[in-house]
Amino acid sequence: MSPSKKDSMLYIGIDLGTSRSVVSASNGNRKWVDSYIGWPKDFVAKKMLGKRVLFGSEALEHRLALNLSRPLQNGVLKEGTERDEAAVQELIGHLIELADVGQDNEICVAVGVPAEALKVNKTAIKNAISQHAKKLMVVSEPFSVAYGLGALDNAMIVDIGAGTVDFCIMHGTVPMEEDQRSILLAGDYVDEQLLKLLCEKHPEANFSLNMVRRFKEKHGFVGEPKRRIKIEAPVDGKFTQFDITEEMRKACESPMPAIVETVVDLIASFDPEFQENVRKNIIVAGGGSQLSGLDSYLNEATKQFEPCTFTCINDPLYAGADGALALASDMPEEFLEKL
Amino acid sequence: MSGNSEIKLTVLRGVYEDNVGIPRSSHGKGRSRFLAASPDSRQRPGYKGKAVLLVLLGLVALLGINFRLVKVDGAGPAAMQLLEKQSLKFPLEPVPVLAVPGDDLILLDSDPPASLESVGALKDAGLTAGHYDAMLSGLGMPMADLFNLEVQTIVIDPGHGGRDPGATGHRGLKEKDVVLDIARRLRDKLAISGKYRILLTREEDRKVFLKERVAFAKQNRADLFISIHINSVPAEAGSLNYVETYYFGAHTDQRSLDLAEKENHDSDYAMGDFREVIARIGDTLKTEESRELAGSIHKRLYSNLKRRDRDLVDAGFKTGPFMVLLGVEVPSVLVEVSCISSNAEEARLNIPEYRDSIADFLKTGIVEYLEQRTYRNPIERGKTQHVAKQER
Repeated sequence: MSPSKKDSMLYIGIDLGTSRSVVSASNGNRKWVDSYIGWPKDFVAKKMLGKRVLFGSEALEHRLALNLSRPLQNGVLKEGTERDEAAVQELIGHLIELADVGQDNEICVAVGVPAEALKVNKTAIKNAISQHAKKLMVVSEPFSVAYGLGALDNAMIVDIGAGTVDFCIMHGTVPMEEDQRSILLAGDYVDEQLLKLLCEKHPEANFSLNMVRRFKEKHGFVGEPKRRIKIEAPVDGKFTQFDITEEMRKACESPMPAIVETVVDLIASFDPEFQENVRKNIIVAGGGSQLSGLDSYLNEATKQFEPCTFTCINDPLYAGADGALALASDMPEEFLEKL
Repeated sequence: MSGNSEIKLTVLRGVYEDNVGIPRSSHGKGRSRFLAASPDSRQRPGYKGKAVLLVLLGLVALLGINFRLVKVDGAGPAAMQLLEKQSLKFPLEPVPVLAVPGDDLILLDSDPPASLESVGALKDAGLTAGHYDAMLSGLGMPMADLFNLEVQTIVIDPGHGGRDPGATGHRGLKEKDVVLDIARRLRDKLAISGKYRILLTREEDRKVFLKERVAFAKQNRADLFISIHINSVPAEAGSLNYVETYYFGAHTDQRSLDLAEKENHDSDYAMGDFREVIARIGDTLKTEESRELAGSIHKRLYSNLKRRDRDLVDAGFKTGPFMVLLGVEVPSVLVEVSCISSNAEEARLNIPEYRDSIADFLKTGIVEYLEQRTYRNPIERGKTQHVAKQER
């Protein structure tokens, strides 16, 4: 490949998440979309919506008229479901469109996917991307975050997503299977817990999973509350105010013991000479990193073992896509040529 | 080149190699001690290794040790890795592995442990009263053979689903997801022979009432019914991991009753239905064949899983009052293939290769049962069990 050709190539980084998918391109475009894809159920729906396929919030809004898919639920493509594979293909195509690729540009795409999906569905995901780009790479989400932050050595990434929490130790190379763990107690689990707790405490009120997800994204916290959390929900059709501080704390803290245990366990399995360095450099990414008070809660929780230092990143929404973009852009020509 | 640039290049090379399918050329320092300890532990044995194993096999045959061959279809490098890991983990009880061309594995499977016989597994269900007893004792052969019944359709029933997650592990793994995955793998493995029509009571994560599962089996003229579940125990029981297999009958102990109550929950059966199905308890053919099937599956599942977890407890194959087994009119079993409340077992269940192995062991048990029936009665058969059932 000539240097001029590499220069003219458009690089795209995609974070294909369970809850949100994000694109970041070398032309400066950065966009995100909820990871929902919907196809009109019948010709009436198609005529009404005027589209072959809908994405993100638009798909959610018209969900009753759509066959809706959230393809990476639980962090993996559900095996044998062609609809989910087609959904990934549509979603990738949509994200590339959002990047505003010119007609003549050759593109190179790097996609970060949940660690478990990389293990289980790598071929299916590569097939889906190959419909849109010839030069492509698939990596795990925590790894793309680490690459973007330059945390390539003696660091651990804890990526708290919707379907899974992915853990990954970086030690100067692409992480191997034993450097990575995933647990399923993630954002969706917190939502389920919150819904359960609220329904138990306020049986008279109507809560839905979407509502409690919004409450969590706005008010989620662990540890001591900074203020009381008051929300409104309908009771017999009339909006009523509820204090949900305690339920929010319980739900948000519910996956913490498993997270702490996995961090400690993964570090313990690492070379003892480097464990201390990793303990001092644990980066928390993903939507879950935005829970208020998370870093100090985790620092405190690991005190009983060997103390660890957790740092939550500033821009969790774009960190994965930006990292994937950096990866694609940095890929030497000799490798890029053969991809 | 500075240290950082070198690391970056190593990482980029790793990404490139991963994406074009080249085996990784370098490893990070953080794992050096593991790699140094077992440099080849993550690779398949080479020809030299295969030759050594072949010689060992020959010696075993010469010595007349009572081994049987079990072929594990389609086991690739990952399965090999898992087996190797296990043989490293339990050096006193190595798994003899024979690598053959084509990536298949052959396990040399010694006789099942004696404990299997000692759990009361062959205890009679106590259901063959009256004239059934008299008739059977006079036959001297299984009834399925007497009626020349052939198995054509196998229904696999992944338990729970939808808003009913079943048991949940400490790290969030749900029974409904694991059993669905195992059921799909089992279907694919059984379908390879092309001899049977294999159906699943649910193909996706949705709630299916027990009554619907039973109706599905009937509508599709099932000849065998295999319900897959996963156990869990209260936290006080610690890391207990056990397997057990049920066929319908009078309960054997309080724990079986408790488990049946749990699995029968939300059955959507009315009392009238219950009385009707209870009346079928005297269905001797079903009980007899169900016991054979349960024994075959359980023996294979336990003896193989024991190699992965030496603390695995054998809870035996036995009768239990499960609604789903009672409603289905053909040989039917409910297999609790694992115990998700054990942290270690939950971690194993999260690995696709492990779930694939469980499906493999279930398949082997089912196939052995079917082959045994063929051996018992090699003559041409024309009717499926379901058809015969309708005619009776």
